[in-house]
Amino acid sequence: MVQRLAQAAKIGIGLWMAGVAIATFLVVPQYEGLGDAGRIVIVHVPTAWVSVVAFTISAIFSGLYLWRRRERDDHIAVAAAEAGLLFTLLATITGMIFSQVAWGIFWNWDPRQTSIFVLLLIYAALFALRAAIDDIDRRRQLSAVYSLFAFVTMPFLFFIAPRIADSTLHPNCAFIQGSNCDGIVLEVGKVGLIGDQKVQLLGLERKGNLLVAEVKVSTPGLQREAILYPSLDLVDGGMADRPEFPGSRFQLGLEEYNEATGAVRLNMEAPGTNLLENRRTLYVFLAANLGFTALLFWMLQVRSLVLDLQWAIAQRGRVTYG
Amino acid sequence: MDNAAIFVATAAVLSVWIAIFVYLWRIDTTARMLQRELRREREQAETALPKAEVSRVRSTDEADEPVERRS
Repeated sequence: MVQRLAQAAKIGIGLWMAGVAIATFLVVPQYEGLGDAGRIVIVHVPTAWVSVVAFTISAIFSGLYLWRRRERDDHIAVAAAEAGLLFTLLATITGMIFSQVAWGIFWNWDPRQTSIFVLLLIYAALFALRAAIDDIDRRRQLSAVYSLFAFVTMPFLFFIAPRIADSTLHPNCAFIQGSNCDGIVLEVGKVGLIGDQKVQLLGLERKGNLLVAEVKVSTPGLQREAILYPSLDLVDGGMADRPEFPGSRFQLGLEEYNEATGAVRLNMEAPGTNLLENRRTLYVFLAANLGFTALLFWMLQVRSLVLDLQWAIAQRGRVTYG
Repeated sequence: MDNAAIFVATAAVLSVWIAIFVYLWRIDTTARMLQRELRREREQAETALPKAEVSRVRSTDEADEPVERRS
């Protein structure tokens, strides 16, 4: 009975994920400024979420192994770390594709990209460590201890480091509450940094109801620079013209003007910031999270079973006492 | 993306997912079969082997007494 339910659940995962794949293309609408590239969020965020779950499971079972010394705990911990690494790689690759569409470059050492790269290195080192130790008990003990230490770095690298960085291009405001999305306040002649763009306010000019800013933008380390003219409607206080940064789909917005100080607030408007406000996108996004999580547990079960069998076959024929 | 392109992309993603699903399903089935086989083999080995439990070790002064055996 349990076996039949398990088989039905696996078929359910297959159908559910097929439904998510179809809905990603045929139900989720296009987004202004992003077009079809916005659909990648349906894969990118759930894979990142699932890798967090996998690394957490790996740490829990590493702790259990150190406590109970059962091989099964070690096998689950290893299977979870492998799955975590795989899903982190998927999140990185989908993020790079999005980055190419939105920022005009696959990789620019953005704080989010750098932190995930460090996390990949940390967990890749776990497998290097396991491969380097021949003694099975020592290998299990050391990798369990290493896995616990690696897990301590995970929340910092996944959540904290990109959030405290002012210069990230990752659209944090779309998904992460509390991110610094306030832009920068500049007076004429002053220089600041929005995302990875160096911004200098060259001048302000009033044209009827509009306040037009002349802003020089450049990417540090690159030759590319441009003069952009974002504007603010002084009557209704809303942004008027929002020019795009050179080679990117991000726009420069003039959000506020302080008459007393002569300073303006400039901000980067990320395409897809309100992606999940659309009901259809939200439901497909939630379904994808659920499907990927179920898939993770199935993968964990299969992989840990394979490791159990490898261990059982290696032990076959050996005389055991007690 | 026009209509044809979006259907092609959907078909490509579905094909990849079906391949992953079939791969996982086959590993799962094979691993379970192997697990059952190993269990059966172990059970057979346990029943086929004669068992003996030593309950008392004969000391040198009772050399003529038979050793008690249970099987």
